[in-house]
Amino acid sequence: MARVSPLALGSALAIALLVSITVAVTIGPADIRFDEVWRSIASHLGIGVSPLSELRDGIVWQLRLPRVLTAAAVGAGLALSGAVMQAITRNPLADPYLLGLSSGAALGAVSVLLLGAAVLLPLAAFIGALLALTLTLLLAGSLGAITPSRTVLAGIAVSALASAITSFVIFWSVTGDSYREVLSWLLGSLSGARWPAVGITMVAIIVIGIPVMLTGRLLDSFAFGDVQAASLGVNVSATRWGLLAASALVTGAMVSVSGSIGFVGLILPHAVRLLVGPGHRALLPLSALLGAVFLVWADTLARTLFDPREIPVGIVTAMIGAPIFAFLLTRRKSST
Amino acid sequence: MSDNSGLAAERIHVTTDGTLLIDNVDCTVARGSLSALVGPNGAGKSTLLRALTAVQAPASGSVTFGGHDLLGMPRRQRARLAAFVEQDATTDSALTVGMVVALGRLPHHSLWEADSPESAAIVTASLETVEMTTFREREFQSLSGGEKQRVMLARALAQQPQLLTLDEPTNHLDIAAQLAVLELLSSLRDTGVTVLAALHDLSLAASYCDHVIVLSHGTVVAAGATESVLTEELIADVYGVTASILRNPITGKPVIGFSPA
Repeated sequence: MARVSPLALGSALAIALLVSITVAVTIGPADIRFDEVWRSIASHLGIGVSPLSELRDGIVWQLRLPRVLTAAAVGAGLALSGAVMQAITRNPLADPYLLGLSSGAALGAVSVLLLGAAVLLPLAAFIGALLALTLTLLLAGSLGAITPSRTVLAGIAVSALASAITSFVIFWSVTGDSYREVLSWLLGSLSGARWPAVGITMVAIIVIGIPVMLTGRLLDSFAFGDVQAASLGVNVSATRWGLLAASALVTGAMVSVSGSIGFVGLILPHAVRLLVGPGHRALLPLSALLGAVFLVWADTLARTLFDPREIPVGIVTAMIGAPIFAFLLTRRKSST
Repeated sequence: MSDNSGLAAERIHVTTDGTLLIDNVDCTVARGSLSALVGPNGAGKSTLLRALTAVQAPASGSVTFGGHDLLGMPRRQRARLAAFVEQDATTDSALTVGMVVALGRLPHHSLWEADSPESAAIVTASLETVEMTTFREREFQSLSGGEKQRVMLARALAQQPQLLTLDEPTNHLDIAAQLAVLELLSSLRDTGVTVLAALHDLSLAASYCDHVIVLSHGTVVAAGATESVLTEELIADVYGVTASILRNPITGKPVIGFSPA
């Protein structure tokens, strides 16, 4: 099939991301014009004076901009993790959410929040994600040869357990609005995202995501399995565990600010693959870019669709992602 | 120190889950020869090939090629020296033929450098060698078994190896494709590459290979020049069948006929 040039798609997505971020910041109950948004942001960067009142300026700078930037970073991180996991496990259904990493990360995050150690939030989420992933792979392995569907089944079991414990911990401890709290961890929500969330997610993208994006060639060598990768001079176990740990780390950082948002890691790498083909040197950065654009709009929908009520963004991503997941399943029925 | 010696393996042991699969194997493959590794199912041919190329390192033993310690050298350096084509390689990925062959350039590049024109030329030349140039943009998965095997061979050639090992390269192929693969291996041998292939078909081994290594129950039971090794007695011993060594009236090469013991 005719494919798009990766460079062209990359440029288009980079522009789309910038435009999406700017437009998304202008959307919301308080009506703020495009140019006002940018003059307000510029004023915070030390250029000129904000044209907005203090309250409206606060809406742009304290609420909407950090939320939109966090959405972009979370989308990029989840899509990147999904693409890496799909390659390294040779499983087209691999995704941080389906394999239980996101639920594990949420459990880790909720546990330290309960202990009052919020500083450790991303670390705890990482440990939760890593434990959940290990458990999923062990469980899948104990069912026989590790196949994509067995891994997803194991992931569902691990995910269900982690989610149940998360919900239990919240109901048992929180005195306020437990239901809302549970929902935002289990379905994912960016409503609480402020500048610290931008910091955590951006650091994860820059420190872990970008080096991971440079491993495309290594991931390509896994297309025919471990033996071929090894024969091409790849250190198979170091690469596999290093990249799975990196995926868990990125997922942990994202989930610690957003809760577990599903399907982003599953569907966007598949979409990019359809457009530019399976080569990972293009697939990884393009999945991250598309993931960023996708989640900016998914979150914008989540907060405006039923204005003034807000729905968890995970509902939006699941509405879009679940049918695509079903499609991928039916397409694979012969080989699972 | 690099020298002109071929592949030399000594005291190779391979154990998997507590079972000894390869038991104290010594074997050599002369530089620039085409050799066959034969033996009944379960003799340990695949295991030995993987051990020799350190794809799955043996529990103990040494393997040298041209005086280089194959097991001890850095992985990428080894992958530039020795290529391995596994049996029935499959993928779920929609890689094109060109991309599959380009995988062979992996040990020659650092991770983030762009594809060099030199590498692109080597990929093209490798595809030419296996006569798959026109398939470059086709999806690997859409190819026939024989075409896939030729692409995997081109991938190995793109590594520019001096040693090429193949596990059952004629498996599941029709006769014409089997002969095409062996013809290719012979012409590679003629360009100076040392080739070792695990083969099931003893007649193919007899007509194409300079040397034969016979493996049975994880040990080498015979090795040497093809005609001196593949005798009716040895085949009866190793395979438990009655063999008759005949002559191909056209090529003059040995052909082996079988009947139950």
